[in-house]
Amino acid sequence: MNSNIWLLTFADAISIATTLILASLGAILTERSGVINLGVEGMLLMGAVTGFLVADSSGNLWLALFVAVLVGVVLSSVHAALTVGLRANQIVSGLAMVIFATGLSQFIGKPIEGDPLPVLIRPIDFGALSDLPLFGPVVFGHDLFTYLTWALVASASFYMHRTRPGLLLRATGDAPATVDAQGGSVARIRWVHTMVGGALMTFAGAWYMFARAAAWNQSATTNGIGWIALALVVFASWRPLRAIGGAVLFGFSLQVPFTLQAEQIRILPPTIVAMFPYLITLAVLVVLSTPRARRLLGAPKMLGQPFVRDER
Amino acid sequence: MIILGRRVRMEQRLSTPRLLLFLVPVFSVFLALVVGGVFLAATGHSPIGTYLDLIDNGYTTFYGITDTLGLATPLICTGLAAAFAFRMNLYSIGQEGQMYLGMIGGAWAGIAIADSLPQLVAVPFVLLAGAATGAAWIALPAFLRARLGTSEIVSTLLLNYVALNLLNYLIFGSTGFFRDPTTSFPQGRLVADSARLSPISFFTDKVTNTYPTFLIAVILAVVLFWLMRVSNYGYETAVYADSPNTARYAGMNSTWLQSSVLLISGALAGVGGAMYVVGPAGKVDPGLLQVGLGYAGIVVAALARYNFIAVIVAAVLFAGLRTGGNALQISNDPVPIAIAVVLQGAVLLFALGGELFRRNKIIITRVQVAT
Amino acid sequence: MANLAMVTSALMQHDEKGALALAARGVTKRFPGVVANDQVNFDLARGEVHTLLGENGAGKSTLASVLCGLYRPEAGHVVRDGKEIRLNSPRDGLAHGIAMVHQHFRLVDRFTVAENVVLGHKSLSFVLATAEIEAKVAAITEEFGLPLDPRAVVGELSAGERQRVEIVKALYQGAEILLLDEPTALLAPPEVEKLFITVRAMTHVGKSVVFVSHKLGEVVDISDRITVMRGGKVTGSVRRGEADVRRLAELMVGREINIVARRAKLPTSDVLLSVSQVHLERDGVELLSDINLDVRAGEIVGVAGVAGNGQRDLAEVVAGLQTPQQGNVTVCGTPTARSGARGARRAGLAYVPEDRLGTGLAPSLSIVDNMVLTRERGFLVDRKSALVESEQFIKQLEIKTPGPLTPTRKLSGGNSQKVLLARELFAVSGARVLVVCSPTRGLDVGAVEAVHTLLDEARDAGKAILMISEDLDEVMTLADRVMVLYRGHITLEQSGNDADLDRVGRAMAGIA
Repeated sequence: MNSNIWLLTFADAISIATTLILASLGAILTERSGVINLGVEGMLLMGAVTGFLVADSSGNLWLALFVAVLVGVVLSSVHAALTVGLRANQIVSGLAMVIFATGLSQFIGKPIEGDPLPVLIRPIDFGALSDLPLFGPVVFGHDLFTYLTWALVASASFYMHRTRPGLLLRATGDAPATVDAQGGSVARIRWVHTMVGGALMTFAGAWYMFARAAAWNQSATTNGIGWIALALVVFASWRPLRAIGGAVLFGFSLQVPFTLQAEQIRILPPTIVAMFPYLITLAVLVVLSTPRARRLLGAPKMLGQPFVRDER
Repeated sequence: MIILGRRVRMEQRLSTPRLLLFLVPVFSVFLALVVGGVFLAATGHSPIGTYLDLIDNGYTTFYGITDTLGLATPLICTGLAAAFAFRMNLYSIGQEGQMYLGMIGGAWAGIAIADSLPQLVAVPFVLLAGAATGAAWIALPAFLRARLGTSEIVSTLLLNYVALNLLNYLIFGSTGFFRDPTTSFPQGRLVADSARLSPISFFTDKVTNTYPTFLIAVILAVVLFWLMRVSNYGYETAVYADSPNTARYAGMNSTWLQSSVLLISGALAGVGGAMYVVGPAGKVDPGLLQVGLGYAGIVVAALARYNFIAVIVAAVLFAGLRTGGNALQISNDPVPIAIAVVLQGAVLLFALGGELFRRNKIIITRVQVAT
Repeated sequence: MANLAMVTSALMQHDEKGALALAARGVTKRFPGVVANDQVNFDLARGEVHTLLGENGAGKSTLASVLCGLYRPEAGHVVRDGKEIRLNSPRDGLAHGIAMVHQHFRLVDRFTVAENVVLGHKSLSFVLATAEIEAKVAAITEEFGLPLDPRAVVGELSAGERQRVEIVKALYQGAEILLLDEPTALLAPPEVEKLFITVRAMTHVGKSVVFVSHKLGEVVDISDRITVMRGGKVTGSVRRGEADVRRLAELMVGREINIVARRAKLPTSDVLLSVSQVHLERDGVELLSDINLDVRAGEIVGVAGVAGNGQRDLAEVVAGLQTPQQGNVTVCGTPTARSGARGARRAGLAYVPEDRLGTGLAPSLSIVDNMVLTRERGFLVDRKSALVESEQFIKQLEIKTPGPLTPTRKLSGGNSQKVLLARELFAVSGARVLVVCSPTRGLDVGAVEAVHTLLDEARDAGKAILMISEDLDEVMTLADRVMVLYRGHITLEQSGNDADLDRVGRAMAGIA
């Protein structure tokens, strides 16, 4: 067996993990405030297609990424308006968003379907460093945004666990009544983090488009990564740093079918192998559901519950 | 909340005026059409023209209507499945996967019986097999929820993707039981003739896409509606959905209620899949299924506010959108079918917002400035 | 007003320790349907432990809430260090050094002690200086005898420890005046001791503490002064040393009894409900201890007590909703302790819970639908006969409702209670034992009368009724035998006619 190709697969997994990390980080921030946004898959698609369209017409990668982020803010604001402002059912709203955004992305993506990418995100050229054995491709083979993502995760972790607003964020998801009693604004915290979460989700989609996709094709582009990102949040116990490990694992399981095919290894049919990421996620979910795990690592207590203040 | 010097307050209504109950869904559809219209116009299509085309093709032409009813058939099933579960605050979103499994289970039954059973027995047998497989597919999430409190949202969802891959495997990835032995082209093996029904021709000599399964679906919805109204099971689920504390007080077994509701939900979605086997497909056919009917079922259920009779209406409405949307693709001014999906999502989003008005009164008063 | 200013400034010229730290002047607070505080005057000296004593509903929690800024009074004002202040929120209270520790803690389980203490603190830096904070918390816990590890996760702490976190929170925020609402409610006796040590430590450095409590027995030693409230008014105030326990109990529960006692008219017969040696525990906390009681056909046994002493647990164990670790419950000769709610019902028991709309009834369902809730149902639900019954009851009991199909949440308190009683007393066939909790809570005078009549008639019809109520008047009116429930124990048993109100009151407050 060619060990080199597995190393490359691993490096690939880290790369693909970027999308997962960004999307799940967005979900973590949102869910920590108590809001569950199931619309990730749709946001990824919208980010991807919007990025493509803007890059196509302007040729400017940065503008494309910026607009994609804006779209994420707008879409997640709709979700926030419905769930935080109007106290609608968060599950149904998120699902409606997935359907709406999926359809919309397909709709506006029709004209450019199959077209080659207008710009690409390429890995940074570290020269000789990337030829180092073992480390080379794994550490030095990535693009700017992947590195920035790692930095972002570290910052998010610091934000959540070591800063005052982070403390408030975590308190809002667990005990909004307490935050409210202290004079904090539960609604504002939820709005902000839902919108930031949305921005990250669409950015994740746009990055995916320019760094990994071959072209735009709605059904094949992201293929469930958004849902895996949601499961990843559970896997990571709502902590940003843990999301990295899980993302690489899932990224790996997403890449493996391709590697197996390239190496002509046919132990299992590709469709069966394609099931692995989902089955693994499911297994992780089960493990995390034991009462002990839930107590120590569990979801924000009031996740999914609209906050209503008792009248005095 | 204070806007422009006036305090806006929400107060729960004691009862909802009949008019509002009717207006909210209507307005949701209208507003969704407006939003869709914006996107249509932005991409160079005429909104009014597109919508008229849509309605025409979906609801007025002969083939339009029959296609719509045909598509509504599995949609009613997934809509019922979603409504059944969501009513109890059980957010199973696995209707898609359960439908696939229902198709697989139904096809297995249809192939296994060969020609040994008369149609009167074979068809129900296939449908029941579909129901059983659908229920089996949700059994794991149901168990996880009952025993470990695992969220059914993510677990049912993940199984959707596993089911999709399973479906593809059976047809494209293997040459087993479900494959048509007569050809090397990857397609499903046909079930026994006795397990199939012919399309309804509506007294013409045309071959339509509406099968008697549509009637079965409608009857299923009506029977379910009636059963839940009069049966003890329906009563207990209604009590539990209203107030779990009251259910506990009355000595009801909430674990049993939740698990059984999930299983029945899975079975309903499974029947939808099996209806493909009995009707248009006659075999396992991944191509026919991949139109997201599972997720559409959730939208239908939400719009129908989980009322089983209303599910029928909503399903036909949405199926018409899809059919009309399909036709739009090949019309003179081709519009991507995605517009139908956009409209679906938009309708639900507006309906969600409208829920607020149904549940609460808005009271606007002048604010007294504190001295 | 001028007099007041003179008086308060005079008081302030006293030695620092005795100076007036906080006062309420003529405070009136109303809620829909009730005047919780009626022209209340109260003052607190610097370094004093002053207890607000009273039963549930006496108005003491409300007064404390006004003093800390949680409620705004309709009339009167709060005085701090001699100056009148206006408090619009608990934050304002904190700004004046007034903090309240609530009965139900507001903590984030997932956070550490330190994180909970500083949550929402105004001058918190952007980047949390965790080490510094933990050190400061440790200093406070040491100074005031509140053993706590700043890094411990609050979710894993005991009730007593969680209370300490709340107290540290108040102290960290610079509170000079602490209002403790029913602080010993969730504590075991040894923890109560620790709490009192802490309180002494706090007053030693000049802080002032207000105890809000109904547990006369516990507070009598720690308090420098005790002010008793009843029905929204202050009934009396005594200093340490003057405290005559008997007198205090009288002030708390004693009243002119103008109630007309209703007793059983017929001799009682068989024991229909028997509870023996019942012991209930949850999460290591003892909820009921060695409960023994009997109820005969044709009698009402009343269980009195202040809220929070195990009433609901007692009712649920008897009704089969909770299974005791030890002991037996026998209904009409059938053991039901382990049979569940349905088993108890089948044996002949009916249960009317305190929470009408959230537990006894399904609020969105109609009267008809609720009528069949606690009976045996077949595969199909028989709504026809339930409809007939509902219409009968509506007429018979004069239930005000648009009709039998009205959702029960639209009924007033009194009417929904009538529906509940109609169901449990009459609609459930074969029910000979009735457990009823606080049947007239929140009802107007007319409804109270109607409910009491129903219970009286049920007694005459030979039912065995166990009435658990926080309303002592009610118990004294109806009960043939009176028991008192205190901290999960039955501490007194007397016949209704001979009941010594004094003794009952003291038993309710936890003194022998």
